Amino acid sequence: MPEWGRTTLEMIVQDLQRPVRLDESFERRVMVRVRRYYAQRRRRSRGWLAVGASITHHPAWTAAVAAGIVAVATLGVLSVHPRTASGGVIEPTTFVLVAPTARSVAVVGDFNNWGLDDSALVATSNQGVWSVTASVPVGVHRYAFVVNGVNGKQWMADPTAPRSSGDDFGMPSSALVVEDSTK
Amino acid sequence: MSKRTTRSLMMVAALASASVTSANAQDPRVLPRLDAPSRAAIAAVVDSAKAQGIPVEPLYDKVNEGVVKGADGPHIVVAVRNLALDLATAHRALGALATADEIKAAASAMHAGVPAVELGKLKKQSGLRRSLTLPFTVLADIVSRGVPVSTAANAIRSLVGAGAKDKDINDFQRNVKVDIEQGAPPAAAAETRAKGTAKPENLDQIDQ
Amino acid sequence: MESSDAELVTRVLHGDVNAYGALVSRYRDRYVRYAVHMLGNREDAEEALQDAFTRAYRSLSRCDEPERFGAWLFRILVNRCRTSGARRVRRSQTFVHDEGALLNASEEHPAEQTMWREEIERAVGELNQDQREAFLLKYVEEVGYDEMSEITGVGVSALKMRVMRACDRLRELLKEVHSA
Repeated sequence: MPEWGRTTLEMIVQDLQRPVRLDESFERRVMVRVRRYYAQRRRRSRGWLAVGASITHHPAWTAAVAAGIVAVATLGVLSVHPRTASGGVIEPTTFVLVAPTARSVAVVGDFNNWGLDDSALVATSNQGVWSVTASVPVGVHRYAFVVNGVNGKQWMADPTAPRSSGDDFGMPSSALVVEDSTK
Repeated sequence: MSKRTTRSLMMVAALASASVTSANAQDPRVLPRLDAPSRAAIAAVVDSAKAQGIPVEPLYDKVNEGVVKGADGPHIVVAVRNLALDLATAHRALGALATADEIKAAASAMHAGVPAVELGKLKKQSGLRRSLTLPFTVLADIVSRGVPVSTAANAIRSLVGAGAKDKDINDFQRNVKVDIEQGAPPAAAAETRAKGTAKPENLDQIDQ
Repeated sequence: MESSDAELVTRVLHGDVNAYGALVSRYRDRYVRYAVHMLGNREDAEEALQDAFTRAYRSLSRCDEPERFGAWLFRILVNRCRTSGARRVRRSQTFVHDEGALLNASEEHPAEQTMWREEIERAVGELNQDQREAFLLKYVEEVGYDEMSEITGVGVSALKMRVMRACDRLRELLKEVHSA
């Protein structure tokens, strides 16, 4: 039996906090319901369009429907914020490093697979002030500068940014929090 | 050995021994340029993390970071396992309402030395009213610059409690950093700047 | 790169129904625990969680903060559990996940451990619905009182009272078992 010297509440909570796992079929069952609802909704909306088509011989109705569709489409275009291919919000973010003796500077981080497959962001120099602007997804990221100088390649954290904690494999990184400017 | 240490070691063992599934086949991400045992070990950690509802993107990012920085497979595996542990602990500390970014930032703060219980208190204080991603990130930063954990946590708590926006918290971080670089004791820098950032009319709201 | 909640919600609202599967996969294990303890058995919990996911899909356009889809879904689940039918306790079920067993491994004999767990489940089942809900949200899911108030629509003072009474009742029930 449990030791009654320990707090009973602690023991109860510890036991109730054990993880519970569902099997893979749960997701399938939910998606069956979701897809059924999605299909019903599509059939209902097609029914509305069919009604619209049947009244095209009434010019006033046709013009009204067409104007409504154009208005919605225009609003959609105007309100679109730059997004990733998967639909996430991205924000233009500028990285700046003062490195007067550097031959090249690149930015690598979570947002570009750390430069794997030639995805590093290459900065341009303005009298030793290197900068590059890139689209970065909203969220928190780790990143670093890779500076090519007289002593070869060197990893540098961003001196103007918060430090990033965590195993950095002996080479410093910085933390970047990108906020959604649409909010 | 404390119960907590025992529990942590068991969790590491659980993560290490979790069976290798066809994670690579299910997930489009490919673990690049790693030896087969390291890939298998990381796939197991990822599987376990998914089962616990922990964000797995940071684990893949850690792999990429390690590869690019020239770390060997075993070192990367250790880094990924430790990160998964921190993410799991952060997830438990912050509760069901935390976002993936808050969990990531909290894991970073824990790695810097902030106890999970402090992060949980901050989350309970702020609730759904604001994101804590940036406050946790700044907390990790100022602790790494020598501000004692309790002083740093109090400073962040007072800023959040006073309704400071992310811009204010960013300014606070920059000011503390500059003060420390100019020779100020870290604790004094953080305390002074936190008072300065909290708006006078909101002082009553500061959590004592 | 794994998509965020906001990205997935946006895709679903743009007609990509399959993207909803990723949200289901992400949250199903996180929230089933609450439903299991609230409703007392796995079947009802799965049904409540399925229903919550379906309702969330149907009203997804009303999710004001897509990046907090998880929290919004949790609210729907809490409400769903409240309106669910009578609680039935089944002794034959085990809810322990492998890693959970490792995390909570004790030096007690496994048979005693199972008995203790069943007693906890039974005791939680003895609480009235309001007390059980408040206790699980506060201590097991570790939700703050302000959020609990937002989720349940009940004032903070009333919630604190429910939690306190739930704790007292659980201690009474489990002490009775121990002394029996």
